[in-house]
Amino acid sequence: MSDYAVRITRLNYSYPDGTRALENVDCDIRTGERVALVGPSGAGKSTLLLHLNGILKGSGTVRIMGQTVADGDLAFIRKQVGLMFQDPNDQLFCPTVQEDIAFGPLNLGVPAAEIPARVEKALRDVMLDHSYAGRTAHHLSHGERKRVALACVLAMEPSILALDEPASNLDPGTRRHLIELIAALPATLVLGTHDLEMAIDLCPRTIVMDGGKIRADGETRLLFADAELMAKHGLEVPLSLRGNHR
Amino acid sequence: MKHSFVDRFAELESPLHLLDARTKLIGFIALAAAVLYIPPGNSVAFFAAFFLLAIFAGISQIPLPYIVGRTLVILPFVLLAALAAPWGGKDGWTRLAVLVLRSTLCLLVLILLTNTTRFVELLRGLRKLGCPRILVVNLSFLYRYIFVLSDEIMRMRQARDSRRVGRVAISTEMKTLGSMLGTLMVRSFERADRLYQAMVSRGFSGEFPVAAPRSFSWRDLAFIAVVALFIAATVYL
Repeated sequence: MSDYAVRITRLNYSYPDGTRALENVDCDIRTGERVALVGPSGAGKSTLLLHLNGILKGSGTVRIMGQTVADGDLAFIRKQVGLMFQDPNDQLFCPTVQEDIAFGPLNLGVPAAEIPARVEKALRDVMLDHSYAGRTAHHLSHGERKRVALACVLAMEPSILALDEPASNLDPGTRRHLIELIAALPATLVLGTHDLEMAIDLCPRTIVMDGGKIRADGETRLLFADAELMAKHGLEVPLSLRGNHR
Repeated sequence: MKHSFVDRFAELESPLHLLDARTKLIGFIALAAAVLYIPPGNSVAFFAAFFLLAIFAGISQIPLPYIVGRTLVILPFVLLAALAAPWGGKDGWTRLAVLVLRSTLCLLVLILLTNTTRFVELLRGLRKLGCPRILVVNLSFLYRYIFVLSDEIMRMRQARDSRRVGRVAISTEMKTLGSMLGTLMVRSFERADRLYQAMVSRGFSGEFPVAAPRSFSWRDLAFIAVVALFIAATVYL
């Protein structure tokens, strides 16, 4: 087992239309570490997350659990990295919740006999009861869909969770629920988000991105308390860190 | 958002709902074919078909107003198509009546089939009956995303309406509609892209994995027997 879950060196990526999305990104994430990825819209957070399992391939190297992400060993990489997308409608494409959750494990070659247990466990992990298994995604509320999307990722038992805005558009109750749920998971976490309070709750370490570059990397509370840094990158000091607010 | 589902009452648990999807697919399609086969003069057979479907409808526990409503929604289209019949030579009016009767009966068959079988199971049934995988997969994506698409259309219309004041020239209206359709296409295209990324992220490599068992029971046999009996009766009587 490698000490580092993720090692990225000199990663560059431009979208086909020429937009420079990532520029000389270097970062290492230790196994079991929880890291928040923050920055203004268009900073490159989602693009970076899409590099973690080889969906996008820029120049430079990305290593996951010691293995270089290259075409050869993508199956291994995708088993390691569970990527949750921003819009659950993009992620839930099967006729039923159960099939959606089973999709990943079946692709990974988990025997069909073990599938029901996996589905059951994943649903339990996101605190949805068994009755959800047979339902269709468009019958669910947005919050429920988000949870099912997470269940789809958890069912693959990844060692690295890469979550893109997992709490966006959730009501405060469901959001809190989700935070507790993620906090209880043992996996290495890379969390792309605008929700700075959530980052404080979940991640001791934060990486600030802007314009495709890493602008700061350090202890979450320290970075977030730096008003100048925050303002410079389209962020603001979270309410909970403002000393004597009303 | 609220949608009307093609399989709105498919979650009920009547004896018809418990049948295997394949049984219902074969049975109901055979029934529809038999209805089309009934000769125009045989009013007893028409009545019998209606009676049989009424019994099935009763067993299915689908609310009668729903069945009637659904039929009425589609009937105008049938009438429109049948409108030419009276001018097509002698017995024109009889032909019109028969056309409308047959269509109505077939509609009832379809309403019963889709509302006693969850769409998912219908797809699975089709697949097991040898329908090509690519077709079934496409149908399943259609069923999944038609609602996402209609939501998107609804939001776009709301956005348009909230910025539109007073009367608008028809040419402007058409232009707006054009750009809306264009936007919708681009959005769908981009969604398809993200969707594929999501699939690949979960290990998709071109082949859809399947895992789902379901078996026949005496009920299936009984259903097929009733349908077969009816068909035999319409053919020989």
